[in-house]
Order: sequence, then structure tokens, then C-alpha cells
Amino acid sequence: MTHDAGFWVLQALNALQLSMLLFLLSVGLTVIFGLMHFVNLAHGALYALGAYVAASVAGAWGGFWVGLIVAPIAVAAMGVVLYGGLIRRMRRSGPMAQVLVTFGLIFALLDLTRIIWGDVALASDVPALLEGQVRLLGVDYPAYRLFVIGLGLAVLAVLAFVLGRTQIGAMIRAGVDNDAMAACLGIDVERLFFVVFCVGCALAGLAGAVAAPLLSVTPDMGLQILIPVLIVIVIGGLGSLKGAIAGALIYGVVQTFGAVLAPQLSSVLIYALLALVLVTRPTGLFPAKG
Amino acid sequence: MFRHTPLRVAALALLAVAGIGYAFGASYFGLEILTEIAILAILVLALDMVAGFGGMVSLAHGALAGVGAYGYAMLQAQAGVAPPIALLGAIGLTGALAWAIGAVCARSHGIYFIMATLAFGQMAYSYIFETPVFGGDDGLGGISRLDLSVLGLDLMDSRNFALFCLAMVALAYAACAFVLRSGLGRSLSGVHESEQRMRALGLTVWRVKAHVFGLSGMIAGLSGALAAQHIMYVSPGLLSWTVSGEALVVVILGGLGTLVGPLVGAAFFVVLKHEVGAITPYWHLVTGLVLIAVVMSRANGIFGALEAWVGRRRAARQPQPLAKEVPGNA
Amino acid sequence: MLETRNLDKSFGAIHVTRDVSLKLERGERRVILGPNGAGKTTLFNQLTGEIAPSSGRIILDGADVTALPVAQRARAGLSRSYQKNTLFDGLSVADNLGLAAMVAQGRGMGLGRDGLLHPEVRETVEEVAAQLRLSDHLDARVSEISYGMRRQLEVGVALATRPKVILMDEPTSGVGPEMAKGFHDLLAALPRDLTLLIIEHDIDLAFAVADTITVLNYGEVVFDGLPEAARGSSLLKEIYLGSWEDA
Repeated sequence: MTHDAGFWVLQALNALQLSMLLFLLSVGLTVIFGLMHFVNLAHGALYALGAYVAASVAGAWGGFWVGLIVAPIAVAAMGVVLYGGLIRRMRRSGPMAQVLVTFGLIFALLDLTRIIWGDVALASDVPALLEGQVRLLGVDYPAYRLFVIGLGLAVLAVLAFVLGRTQIGAMIRAGVDNDAMAACLGIDVERLFFVVFCVGCALAGLAGAVAAPLLSVTPDMGLQILIPVLIVIVIGGLGSLKGAIAGALIYGVVQTFGAVLAPQLSSVLIYALLALVLVTRPTGLFPAKG
Repeated sequence: MFRHTPLRVAALALLAVAGIGYAFGASYFGLEILTEIAILAILVLALDMVAGFGGMVSLAHGALAGVGAYGYAMLQAQAGVAPPIALLGAIGLTGALAWAIGAVCARSHGIYFIMATLAFGQMAYSYIFETPVFGGDDGLGGISRLDLSVLGLDLMDSRNFALFCLAMVALAYAACAFVLRSGLGRSLSGVHESEQRMRALGLTVWRVKAHVFGLSGMIAGLSGALAAQHIMYVSPGLLSWTVSGEALVVVILGGLGTLVGPLVGAAFFVVLKHEVGAITPYWHLVTGLVLIAVVMSRANGIFGALEAWVGRRRAARQPQPLAKEVPGNA
Repeated sequence: MLETRNLDKSFGAIHVTRDVSLKLERGERRVILGPNGAGKTTLFNQLTGEIAPSSGRIILDGADVTALPVAQRARAGLSRSYQKNTLFDGLSVADNLGLAAMVAQGRGMGLGRDGLLHPEVRETVEEVAAQLRLSDHLDARVSEISYGMRRQLEVGVALATRPKVILMDEPTSGVGPEMAKGFHDLLAALPRDLTLLIIEHDIDLAFAVADTITVLNYGEVVFDGLPEAARGSSLLKEIYLGSWEDA
């Protein structure tokens, strides 16, 4: 193993790419939690759904780009159904009931994807435009992975702008801080929840569409991603955008560099880090509420 | 606060009769299912003790059972320790590990507690998966069951082994009931209701949590060690977090914090899995929908719903207890 | 019995309690008066250890307990009731009292027999229930009894630990005047060697039970002495304005 500059650049890019994928997933989940105190364990299943929709659309019709647009819309539509049928009714239940209902959803959605798409892994191709490698900082790096990084950063910028500079962002921040107070200020909290939930679902679908060409699309991909996403948002602090970024970066770096520098420890490393964070900062690094 | 109501005693008696009766009547396949139910029942008893009575919703219990299984496998099959000693060793090891997890997680609550236990469970999973001495993905084989020939029992016979596991369920239930009725168990119920008040009364809260978590871990370890003996083979899948998730589902289906309910839940879950599995490969879908329906119905699982129904009927038949509440509301 | 020396708690530049020095003798019944936000509850929280003081010392029965955690102070004989009911809501009245007695008697960690069925625990439960006229409601759940009774149970849980000192945070807050008066009669009937420190809003009631009065304002002790002397204090008049005139 050559520990030259190229090696570090390559691994840093890999870490960043993983971080961005996790960020797309965790940001929706964490803002939904911050606003609604609702842990949607089925978030991973929605991501898997996004990947399936994107892969199918890409295969049947217009290729990757159409899938990239259709998948978030389809998953957001699923979010509308879930919100109307389940989530809204569970709003007043305790966190335990919510965790369990969404756990049941994982089971149900897992088999639904199996019924629709079967057990065989679906392959999805990298779009022609993003095939091949790009020379960057002295290394050749797959163009598609750079695209993932760029997309993640773009979503981050948009979210930071919406949350920080727009009226709806201010309402969301008020809701995260104190939803009862926000309701008193005349904010329609229920509608805000609905919008945020759907946007969170759309981002999960987007993440699935982006991940499809990177990973093989299988029914249990949602289960596999769920734990990393939960680790990200718990390390970062439930409910905070800053936390989702920090958590995703920490996870990406620890996982990627751990795997190459200390392979025998790598899998334990991230869990040990999570345990350490929870013991020293029981509400994460950037808790949404002071 | 754990108490034996007549309904609970009746349900226990019924379960015992049904279990033993089935053990003598069932075919080989039926005995396998019965054994599976018994092993799951022990695990969910352990989980209900911490989750139902202490509010410690653990996603580490599947991994703890896995540690018990690997502990037994390593001691018995790899180190050549006598099976009874290996069984006790596995239980002790799991209990010690659980105590440490409980002590560290005692300060966390709600979703953070769930995540912290999940993290420790996954650590155990990854450690066992990655460490060559545990056989990695291939797992470990060559495991023997306990030798009870002194009692005239050959545990290689599946009927005898099923009966042995049923006896272990009874033992685990008795142990849980014993702990929950003790001062420690009563303190745990107090902590579940108000940690702040228990502390103000002079209780060192984290110690209560750690002790009960450790005891619960010992029972989970027993479940794992029995699972290892049942299939005589262990693999890392035993420690997967989905096992913990399923155990939690079983506790909820049966009735959280009733101790009897999870036994009903275990039987219901395993039978459902096999019955639905025989018709369609999509038994997860059915389980998921059943779980959603149970939680949305707001009943405390199957047994909780039964208790509520019996309670309503008794209240309807005897108006006196209602009248007694009136001065309280005045 | 209970003493504070120069107790100070500040959040940034704001002093919630400032240089509070109190000394309670065994059996003394002291009432703390003061307007909202005077730092009364914050003082209690420092005494029990629920928050740490910024500086100063707390001495309980001759021992410095400033650094001890909540549970250890409780075991040393310091008990409290809360302004906002902090009961075991899902449990019965008997279980509420029983848990308190069980923990205080050191049976809260045992693995033997039922911790709540120990004769000594049951005896305490029955005694305290009789003291607080809750004997007829022992089997009722907390959620089934009236608010006034819950306020009484709140103090009962503190009593069941058989403490040396009880801190009561507005024990009659939110209950009607009749019930409050009855409750103060109950307090008057408590054993004389029990030291009481009571936060009370109603001045008439305060004078009915107090041996001594402490007045807090903006976190500082502005009066400390006998009730008779407090009656003449212009400071108290200033703080309480109208409500004071009728006394």
C-alpha cells in the first residue's frame, strides 16, 4: 500500500462520496424527527423503493436521468400515502408506538418490493455522460462518484438556503425549536409536517436513485443502509441539519479510512465511536435544542 | 408494577398444559417449532423484563443471545469444557457483558437508549464476524447438547430436547418473576415511572438499571446457549440487529410489561411465521401488517387486550369499585 | 441540622441565589417566603443536589454534603416534595408510599422477597397514609385520586422515607383554602424533631406553621428571623404589597 498523496486524495473522495449519500438520507430523517419527534425507521425502505423505481425507469424508458427525476416523485407520492394512512394517526402516540409502526412498515415494504421486483438484484448503469474517469488532484476518479459528491453538496446548499433564508425555513426552525410555540405564532404546524415529511421522502428517493448505479439494487438494501443512517443522525444530534452533515462526514471518514488503515478494526470502530458519543454527549454533537 | 393476577396464573397454566401436551403429541416438525417457540420465549422474557418494566427498550438483546450462543460454542466445542459448565459460563459471560452495556447506557433515554444498545449489539456482531477465531461468516459447528443421561433423558431426541427447553422457559419465567417482585424489581418499576423521584428518595438509579440489565442478559444468554444446542451450529446471523427487532415485535404483539404476554407473542409469532411461510414466501408482509394493526389498535398486544377486556367485564358486573372512586374525584 | 454557607448559583451574569446562608436547628420549622423568581426552588434544588451551586457549602447534620449526589443526600436523611407533582402516576397510592419506604429502608437493591411486602415497609405505608388521611385510598391509582390528595401524597412520599429534614416546595399550591388549612394542621401534627423547610405562597398559612421565616428576593436573603419580627418588616410589605395588608 502506497501512502502517497494520491492515496489520501482517493480515500478522501471516497469518504466524501459515502458521506454525501448518507447525508441525502439522514437529512430528511433528522429534520422529520426534529419537527415531529418521529423516528421513521422505514426511511431506509423508502430509499430502496427509490432505487428500484429509478432502476426500472432507467431500464424501461428514458435512462438514468428520467429515473433520477421520477424516483423522488414516486417516493414522495408514497410518502403522501403513508402520511395520510399512518403517520398522521400516529402523531399523538408515544415514540415507542411510532418506532414499532415504522418497523412494521419496513417488513411490509420489504416484501412489497420483493413481490413487485422479485428477489434478483437489479443492475443499473451509470449514464453515458458520466462514464469514465476524471483527473482530479493527481488521481483518476470515476466521474459518476464526483457527480454524487456534487449532487450532495448542491442539495446541502439548497437546504441551507431554504432553512436559513426563507420564510418556510424560519417556520421549520421555529417548529423544531418548539412546535407548540410555533403553532401559537399562527404557523400551520400540521401542514408544515406534511411538507417536510414529503420532502424527506423525496430526498430518500433521490438517494436511492443515485445509489442504484453504485450498489446492486436488492430488497434488503434499505435495511443495510438504515443502521449507518441512524448512526449518522444520532452522532450528529437528532433534529439538526448541522448534525446530519457532521455525522455523515464523520461516518464517511471513519468508515473509509478505517477500512484501509485498520481493516480488522474498521467495523467495530464506528460503533465504538457512536457509543463514545452517546456516553459523553448523550444527545449527540449538535443537538437541535439547547 | 409486576403482580400475578388470577388471569395471568390461568394463562400460565394453560400455556404450560398446551406446551407439554403438544410436546407429547407432535411430530418431528411440530417439535422443532415448539423448541423454536421456547427459545424465542426465553429471549422475549428477558427483553420484557427490561423494556416492559424498566422502559429500557433494548436492541441489543438479539446480540446478547448471540453472545450466549457463541460463548457456549467456544467453551463447549472449541475449549472442550463440560456442557453444563459451558452453559453456566455462557450465561455468566452474557450477564457480565449486559451489565456493562446497561451501566454505560443508563444515562440515555428514549430513542438514544435504543440507539446506544443497537450500537453495542452491532459492535458484538462485527467483532464476532471479523475475528477469525469465531469462524467468521462460516460460524462454528460441532456443538453438543447437554448430557442428561443421569436423568434418563437423551437430549438428542427432539421430544426430550423440546421438553427440556420448555422447562428452561419455566425456569426463566420464574427467574424474571422473582427479580421483578424483589426490591430491585420494585425499584426498577419506580425508575420507569419517575427516575427523578427515585433518585430523590435515595436510589442510585444507574445501578438498578445495570443490575436488571445484567440479569436480563443472563436470561438472554440462556436463550442463545439453547439455540446453539438446538441447531448445534452458530453463525454471526444470530447476533443481527433484526433478531433484536423481531424480539421487540414479539414482546409488543404479546403485551409489553405483562411477562405472560410475550410468551403468547412468541407462540403466535413462530406459528404465524410457519403457517404464512407455508402459503406464501412473503410472511414479512403479513407480520408487518399485523404489527401495524396491533400498535394502531392501541391495545397492549394480545394479552394486554385480553386483560383490558376482562377488566372491563369485571367493572361492568360489579359497580362498587366505580363508586369507590367518587370521593377521590370530589 | 441543615445549614448553607454563602450559597451562590449564577447562570452567566444572573445570580439565581446570592450568598444565601441559613441555619436550621433540629425540629425547626422554617417557611421561605418570596415573590416568584426569588430563587426559592433553585435553592431547594441546590440543597438536594439536583443542581450544583456555583460556590458555597451545604452542611447536613454536621457533614458537608455539597459534593454528594442526590441519592446520597437523600440517604443521609434529606427528603423533598416537589411543586409540580412528581409521583409514580401509573401506580397505586400504597405503591407510591411503599417504594419510598422500601428505598429509604435500604431494600431497593435486594433480590430476595417482595420489596413492598416487607412488614417494616407496610407498617410505614400504613402510618404515613393514616397521617395524611389517605388510608381509604391506598389501592387507588394516583390518576384516580383528586388533585388535593395528590398534593398530600406528594408530601407523603417524602415522609415515608422517615427523613430528618423535609423540604416542601409549595405543598398547598393549587388546592383550595379549606384543604390548605387542613393540610397545615396535618403538618403541625408531625413529630416535633422533624426539621421542615417549606416554601409557601400564602402568608397566613406560613405564619400558622412557621417557627422562623426567611424571605428571599432576587436570590438574596432579605429577612431571616421570627414571624413576629417579619410582620413588622417593611421589606416584606414591599415585596408582597396588597396581600400583606390583611394579615
